Amino acid sequence: MKKKNGIGLLGTIFFSVLAALYMYPIVMVVLNSLKVETAISTSGAFELPTGETFAGLTNFVSAISSQGFLKSLFYSVFITVTSVGLILLCCSMCAWYINRVHNLISKLMYLLCAFSMVVPFQMVMFTLSNTADKLDIFGLRFNNPYTICFIYLGFGAGLAVFMFSGFMKSIPLEIEEAAMIDGCSPLQIYFKIVLPILKPTMISVGVLEAMWVWNDYLLPTLVLDIKKYRTIPMLIQYFRGSYGKVEMGPMMACIVMTVLPIVIIYIAGQKHIIKGVLDGSVKG
Amino acid sequence: MASVTLKNIRKVYPNNEKKKKSKKGEPVKKTNLKVTKEGVLAVDDFNLEIADKEFIVLVGPSGCGKSTLLRMVAGLEEISGGDLFINDVHMNNVAPKDRDIAMVFQSYALYPHMTVYDNMAFPLKLQKMDKAQIDKLVREAAETLDITQYLERKPKALSGGQRQRVAIGRAIVRNPKVLLMDEPLSNLDAKLRNQMRAEIIKLRKRIDTTFIYVTHDQTEAMTLGDRIVIMKDGVVQQVGTPQELFDHPINLFVAGFIGMPRMNVFDAELIKDGGKYAVKMGKVVVDLDEEKQARLAAKRVEPQSITLGVRPEHLTLESTGGPMLHGTVDVYEMMGSEIHYHVTVEGKDVIIIVPTIGMKDVVPMGSDIPFTFGGNVVHIFEKEKGTNLEF
Repeated sequence: MKKKNGIGLLGTIFFSVLAALYMYPIVMVVLNSLKVETAISTSGAFELPTGETFAGLTNFVSAISSQGFLKSLFYSVFITVTSVGLILLCCSMCAWYINRVHNLISKLMYLLCAFSMVVPFQMVMFTLSNTADKLDIFGLRFNNPYTICFIYLGFGAGLAVFMFSGFMKSIPLEIEEAAMIDGCSPLQIYFKIVLPILKPTMISVGVLEAMWVWNDYLLPTLVLDIKKYRTIPMLIQYFRGSYGKVEMGPMMACIVMTVLPIVIIYIAGQKHIIKGVLDGSVKG
Repeated sequence: MASVTLKNIRKVYPNNEKKKKSKKGEPVKKTNLKVTKEGVLAVDDFNLEIADKEFIVLVGPSGCGKSTLLRMVAGLEEISGGDLFINDVHMNNVAPKDRDIAMVFQSYALYPHMTVYDNMAFPLKLQKMDKAQIDKLVREAAETLDITQYLERKPKALSGGQRQRVAIGRAIVRNPKVLLMDEPLSNLDAKLRNQMRAEIIKLRKRIDTTFIYVTHDQTEAMTLGDRIVIMKDGVVQQVGTPQELFDHPINLFVAGFIGMPRMNVFDAELIKDGGKYAVKMGKVVVDLDEEKQARLAAKRVEPQSITLGVRPEHLTLESTGGPMLHGTVDVYEMMGSEIHYHVTVEGKDVIIIVPTIGMKDVVPMGSDIPFTFGGNVVHIFEKEKGTNLEF
């Protein structure tokens, strides 16, 4: 018993230190977003804001007004919402098909999705950005924020299909058969029965995918026309002006504003994330 | 409220056994299902006329094809061959939702995200019925099944019995032509099962529709069915009323399946003495009654070695004056109104049921027990095929 307590105490100390180390940069960013420029670029960067160095919300105002923050916010929100919406809808349908129809195509689809999780993005990024630049389907092009969601759908599908089909296995087929007898068409079965049952998994997949799309820097940088469209992660680096000048204050403020929504979403959906991930793995 | 006609119904599943064998390197599980070139025959040449408002019970051991048949009637399984008619309308290619049937599943299959009320209202909402009408019908059905107080609960907050009531409620609320039930009581404990069985009998009087009920439990089959269909390996063995099946089983399988405890079987000889049939076991000769004499004579049955079936309750310890059969009591079970003797007779297990009323003494375990039977209660089966020689 005693020994166990000792290990427990050591563990608590170790993980507390680890948590503090993880939190440290975030706290730094938040503190510095409230300081004047000179206090950040000198050794005062590691100090708490004092009466002299406290800048109030000026950094935030400057971040919003100087580099077209609102426009970027719109692009980021639009891309995140459409991509996550598309991923949730298409991938849950795909997982439903994979689970309910047993043939070579469904097996192949599942393997492809699992495989796509293994392939690193860096391996395909140049071919992808090239294709996105050149592809033109009856005037529909993929190098703008309105269609980039299709590329996200492709990259997000692996994890989403994997998680959905894990949970889908725990839904008894009889429920769908009962709905079929009660008078549902396949689409009605999906929207009235399967989708509501999938809600916890939807939330967990949604939060995970939203975090990824919102924070993604590489894909929009490669695919979008940088001069016209900037998502927030892209925007942050434009606070780095020419000749090595960096507007640290507004940059920090911008980072805080970027991180905040996704932290809120994560906290709100946290309960479901753990449940959703477990549902898929344990029950399946 | 409809008649159902099944004509030469067949169900063939693709045969995947060979592939499995080569994959795992394990021996293939042997089943008695027929394997043809097309695949595994789950239901073979099934013919049945179900009258309007009849309660039909499909019964048989696991894997006999009874659930498959029910699912074909429901439209959940494709019919490989033959014709299905509901009210003389050909239904083979009609979607389940257009067949006007309802089904109760073994696992209840309630919609977990809906309340009991919504579960029951769901089929009516899909029919685009108006809200007042839906409310009236749901409350009526809930009243019938005594679940009104649970209407606002979710299924997970209900017990097994209550869930099954809700499932039945969802099925009866839209007044279907045919009500299908797939082992609805199998998930309940013994006490609840007895209670629900009685409920189903009552329910049947109230809703008055055609029932097709699948079970592997012979007690359910006997107590619920107007007629029982006994199946084995996808083939119908016998169709008849519970009493017919009990009194005149067409073969050894039916004889063993119907009746609790199961029928005792003995090796015996069918003999003909002066134009009269009798059965002979060792020194014991029992003359058959006139009804059996007439049937055997009409079929011109020759004297031969037979398998003799006698139900446990038809064996008696009362002496008839002649020689008796002898066995050794292994165990006896005191049931209160009767006593069950488990007896070994020439290496075979035999059960004798003796009523306790008027019984003198219990025969102790390990001692010899003399017993016999009358000529009116025996069933005579052909030795090889097990078919009843009387029919």
